[in-house]
Amino acid sequence: MAVRLVDRPLGLLALVVFASVAALPARAQSPAASDEGTIRYRQKLMSGVGADMGAIGDILKYGLPLQSHIATYATLLSQRSELVAAAFERDVSAGPTDAKPEIWQEPEAFREKTQAMKDEADKLAAIAAGGDAAAIGQQVKALGDACGSCHDSFRKPKEESYKRAGAGS
Amino acid sequence: MPAGRAAVVFTAAAALLSNSAIAAETPDELVARGRAVLEAAGGCTCHTDFDDDGPPLAGGRPLSTPFGVYYSTNITPDPETGIGRWSDADFARAMREGRAPDGSAYFPVFPYTSFTGMSDEDLRALKAYLFSLAPVRRENRPHDVWPPFSWRLSARIWQWLHFEPARFSPDPSQTAAWNRGAYLVHAVAHCGECHTPRTLTGAIDRSRWLAGASDGPEGELAPNITPHETTGIGRWTATDLVWYLQMGFDPDGDDAQGLMRETIEHGFQHVPRTDLEAIATYLATVPPIENRLLDHADHADHADPEP
Repeated sequence: MAVRLVDRPLGLLALVVFASVAALPARAQSPAASDEGTIRYRQKLMSGVGADMGAIGDILKYGLPLQSHIATYATLLSQRSELVAAAFERDVSAGPTDAKPEIWQEPEAFREKTQAMKDEADKLAAIAAGGDAAAIGQQVKALGDACGSCHDSFRKPKEESYKRAGAGS
Repeated sequence: MPAGRAAVVFTAAAALLSNSAIAAETPDELVARGRAVLEAAGGCTCHTDFDDDGPPLAGGRPLSTPFGVYYSTNITPDPETGIGRWSDADFARAMREGRAPDGSAYFPVFPYTSFTGMSDEDLRALKAYLFSLAPVRRENRPHDVWPPFSWRLSARIWQWLHFEPARFSPDPSQTAAWNRGAYLVHAVAHCGECHTPRTLTGAIDRSRWLAGASDGPEGELAPNITPHETTGIGRWTATDLVWYLQMGFDPDGDDAQGLMRETIEHGFQHVPRTDLEAIATYLATVPPIENRLLDHADHADHADPEP
């Protein structure tokens, strides 16, 4: 089949033109492709935040001799907070996302939360450089509270993602 | 005296000694121990109406269940609106038998189904702690539950069907740490109340112990905490669990939310490390049950990674 089309360049052109035209109304009707991409990107970004927090947790809970890494993760988290603020600027609240519509209804409140993430991450970076384990632990908790406080207001609870995923798939 | 009887006498004496050690504790020590019991119970946060900035433990918090909305009660020692007139026996009967001082039955939204396993000493200490708090005058609010679940008699029938008061009995074949963990999980921390699915009549489904529930109290999802590899917490280490209960972070760096976050903040983070490790020791031995409630990493392409 493919060989025969190549043999007939006009036929191939016609097919390409037809396919493009056929695709047009579909794309106009649903901007799903880029929404999907936005959602997937945001999820990767938030996974990264979780991975950093998880890595900090491992260093502390297992007492790994890698405490110097914590400042690096804290700096990363501070930078990620800006990416989070930017990644959630575009309103995509439909589809397989745990982002609550409130993010776009109360953009200033959301912005405060991402700023709190940045502030607490910056503090952790400073404290981690000092190396006092108790102070680091306390600041990790403060940073965690910033995560939790934002999730409280702007992330759907687990039962909603469960229902969306279609009961115990 | 035969050796056997000597051993019995010795054991009895040791038991008496350990009892008198507890009896010898000062009122302050008793109150401090009671506070620790409350923290191991997750802070009894159902009795605090956080949303309305209600005073701690003064009740009035709405608890939505499939049967309607219950309002928690005032457990401060106010004599009129709280439990200030309760005797030790009243308190023990409420906690372990689900009966009010007037003999009426409590609805199982109050987890006496777990507290029934609590020891005399823990109950005595808990009551002492509650009675050390400032009394708050705040009337209890009537439940907003549909008939027939609203009738007190139905609570009595429910108890007849589903409830048998029973003190926790340690398993002598297990270690002291395991038994401590089992006692905490079953009785004081009442983990099974949210983390075990319920039957249609609202009874804990013991055959699916700790397998998680998608429609727990307040409509919240309570994850599967059996050691099942992919749908439970089988991949968590004991250290992960201790960290989670102290810091509110799971191994993936996600934060605890909802009721669990409250219980950590007001309770579990203050529990001694040895007790948290005991909980982990016990949980690792619970039968693993497959029940997927969260999208774990291997299913992450469908839902948000923030489970």
